[in-house]
Order: sequence, then C-alpha cells, then structure tokens
Amino acid sequence: MTDAVAVPAVQAQGLTKTFSSRSGDVEAVRGVDLQVSAGEIFGFLGPNGAGKSTTVRMLTTLSTITSGRASVAGVDVTDEPDEARRRIGVALQEAGLDPRQTGRELLVLQARLFGNSRTQAAARAEELLQLVELEDSADRLIKGYSGGMKRRLDLASALVHEPEVLFLDEPTTGLDPASRLVVWDEVRRINSLGTTVFLTTQYLEEADALCGRLAIIDGGRIVLEGTPQALKDELRTRRALDHEPTLDEVFLDITGRTRERGAGEVQELQA
Amino acid sequence: MSQLNQAMVLGERALREAKRTPDALLPTILIPVFFLVVNVGQAAKIFPSGSTEFLQGQNYAAFQLPSSLLLAASFGASALFLVEDIEGGYFDKLRAAPVSRTSLAMGRLISEAVKNLGITAVMIVLALPFGIRIASGPLGFILLLLMCAGWAVVYSGFLQVIALKTRSAAATNSAGLLFFPLIFLTPNFVPRNLLSPAMEVAATLNPVTYVMEGLRSLILEVLNWVVIGRGFAVVAISGLIVIAFTVRTMRTYD
Repeated sequence: MTDAVAVPAVQAQGLTKTFSSRSGDVEAVRGVDLQVSAGEIFGFLGPNGAGKSTTVRMLTTLSTITSGRASVAGVDVTDEPDEARRRIGVALQEAGLDPRQTGRELLVLQARLFGNSRTQAAARAEELLQLVELEDSADRLIKGYSGGMKRRLDLASALVHEPEVLFLDEPTTGLDPASRLVVWDEVRRINSLGTTVFLTTQYLEEADALCGRLAIIDGGRIVLEGTPQALKDELRTRRALDHEPTLDEVFLDITGRTRERGAGEVQELQA
Repeated sequence: MSQLNQAMVLGERALREAKRTPDALLPTILIPVFFLVVNVGQAAKIFPSGSTEFLQGQNYAAFQLPSSLLLAASFGASALFLVEDIEGGYFDKLRAAPVSRTSLAMGRLISEAVKNLGITAVMIVLALPFGIRIASGPLGFILLLLMCAGWAVVYSGFLQVIALKTRSAAATNSAGLLFFPLIFLTPNFVPRNLLSPAMEVAATLNPVTYVMEGLRSLILEVLNWVVIGRGFAVVAISGLIVIAFTVRTMRTYD
C-alpha cells in the first residue's frame, strides 16, 4: 500500500531531446528532471520555444527520448509505451479532433480504441458528453463546434479510459475568458476525482489559480520549481519587495535572467 | 482489442470520412471516365473491333478500361486525409492511444480497399454503354474488383508513406502524380508486343504493366490464370512491401 502511494505520477530523469536538421542539431530539451506526485495539479510553464511541448510529447510517448528516462504512473514510456498510453490522457495544444465526425462518434471511437465494446463505448461516450455538457451537440459534426466546445470535447476524449494522469498542453490557448473559466472548473473537477493533472500553460494566472506546484522551463532546462506561494515568497525576500509579487513577476524575473544569456529568447517573451 | 479490430474501427471511421466528403470522391470517378472517353475517342477508329485481333471481339473501350480503373485506384485520397489528421492534431490523439502502429496504417488502407470496390463497380457500370462486357464472367468480375482494390491499397500505402514523411498536402498530392509516368510506361494503348523495343523493355520492367494486363485479361478473355496470377502476384508483393514501409514509418514517426 505504501509503495503504491509512493509511485510518482510523472517522473523524468535527465530527459533530453535533440532534433537533427540540415543546419545542425538543435537541443530542444536539455536534461529535465521532474517528479510529480499522484493527485497533484502540476504546472509546467515557459516562454514559447522553451521546451514545454517537446517535454510533454516525450512524456506522452508521442516523441522519442534522445537520452534520459521517463515514466508515468510507474510505467516507463520507452520500454512499455502501450501500457503508459493506457494510464494517460492527452489533450494537446490544438484540440486534436476530427472535424468530419460528430462529438459522439469521436468519443465512441476513442473508447473503442481503449478496448471497450461497441455498447460500452456508447455508454461511456454518453456519460462524457453529459459531463462536459455537450449532449445537445453530440450528433453534430465537430467542424461546427465553437473553440470552447472543441476544447471540452478534447478533454472528454482524453478521459474515456479514466486515466491516472492527464496531460493538458495549453488547454485554454485561444479561448475567451468565459470558456477559459469553464475549462478551469473542469480541470479542478477532474483532479478532485483523483486524476493527476500535468498542465502546460503560458498564462500565469492560470497556473496560479490551478496548480499546487509548478516548474518553469527555459532554454530546455528547468530553471525554477516549487509551489506558487513559495516562488513568490522567495522573490519577495530576495528582491526585498514591499508587495506580494505576482507569478508574472516571478516568471519574468527568472526568464529575465535568461534574457541576459540569450537575446533571441527575449523577443518571444515580449511578444 | 486485437490489431484487426482496431484496424476495422479505424477503417470504419475513414469510410465515414469519405462518405462525408463526396467532393473528394467524385473526381476519383469522373477523371478516369474522362480519360476513357478521350482515349477511346482518339484511337477507337484506328483499332476497329472486327479487324483488331488483340481486342478479341470487343471494342477499344474494353481495351482502355483497365487504364481508367487503375487511375481510379491510384488517387489515394486517404493519404491527404492523413495529412489533415497530422496537421489538425488528431493523428497525435490516435498515436497517444494504445493502438498498434500496424492498425493505424491498416485502418485507412482497409477503407481505401472498400471504397475502391465501390468505385470500380460504378466505373464498370458507367463503361457498359461503351459496349464493354466482362468476358471472364461473374468470377472474373469479382477478381477484377479485388485486383483494383488491391492496387488501391498499394498506391494509397505509398502515398501514406509520403504523407507521414513530409507531413505536407502539397508533397503528397505531387507524389500522386507519379502514377502518370508509370501508367504511360505500360502497354496502355496497344499490347506489349506492338510497342517499340525501348518501350517494350520499359513496360516489361514496370510492375504496373502486369496489373494492367491482368485486368485486361479479365475483361477481354475467359479466365487466363497465368496472366491473372501475375497481376495478383505484383499486387501482393508490392502490397507487402508498401505495408511494411508504412508500418515502419508509423513506428518511427516522431
């Protein structure tokens, strides 16, 4: 029992990813160490091109690992990719949906791919459609859905097999504020049911609102890790601030140090 | 869930996709029919059925039909849908599920085969007013459908590899055009023995020739198992090679 509790939901050691191109090798991720406990909402932040999505792709078996090791729910993603896939749900940056299927068809297909019979898949799809409040649009083609509806359906499709760990890569990018709040509520609800959430985001207020702990990646390396409050307290003490800093200030402070190292990355941050 | 079941589930989805995009399906029929009409219009008078031995009593449209059937089987629209899946992120969603990479590759190929069975049947019906009959009978008709469907799997598999490697609709579309030089290096207008020596060598080296001759044999003569067997052998061997490449590309996709 104690051992089961001790198994981290996500663990990475020395994770690196190098892409080869005609102009030479590009190191997108340079030795990331991570440990996320079961039941956490863990935020993974960083400016554009910092290595967030590449790290998530490696953790979710979508991309090969150049060196290092990673496991989800105690399963090594390289040695047992299918077993790892059974334990994770993935909603990537762009809602990965097939516009020519209806919401219901998409969920039924996803459930069947996870081993459910036709009847079980139909029941699970119905359950999830109710959960994300898409029953009324269930039989409409996805191409007619709004951005918020697509995002909710994407979340539902990541949950068909009741994963232990849910990876959400920038789940609210491009959503209006109301839709964003709906997604936040959904993330909290999913987490309250025991699912570990690994969330990447560029919105600092999102990380502050949702995450119990977070890490900031920049230039392919983890540059800061801790609870939002601890990170703010550290900045306040170090800079002798007379106010409680926001997470934005923490982010700018840490990536600002990076700015001094590489001017190219500043452009992305300011944009 | 077995690999076969997974492939069937994915194949069902690909068929739904095809059904919902009739505008992608129509050119697959209309363009080959157009070529049939034009080629017959240009050359039928040169080869009157009464005095042209290689037509075996049928008209020139019967001789030309295999080219059109092969062209219809070589559109490989499913590879373009695959590019859309890749660009839209749905392909990653499928890859993140515990689905065998063989099933991922086979799903679309199964749908391509089923789709082509229907397309070939429709094209043969459309060709009937040209006075064409299937000399090999009902069994020959079924073999004709199967050989065309097999070729559809081969060419669609090839285009899937291009789609996976390039992730580009433009590159995949351009690769589809490679079929034209292949088909023009076959005994497209006359039998192999009437080609110029250089063309005859090129046609003999071209595997598409044997598929075309197999189809032509099924239309023009009673079951000639040697010619039909060669056609099916080319489809089977090239199918195995292409499927192996597609699965390998799926596995190494990063």
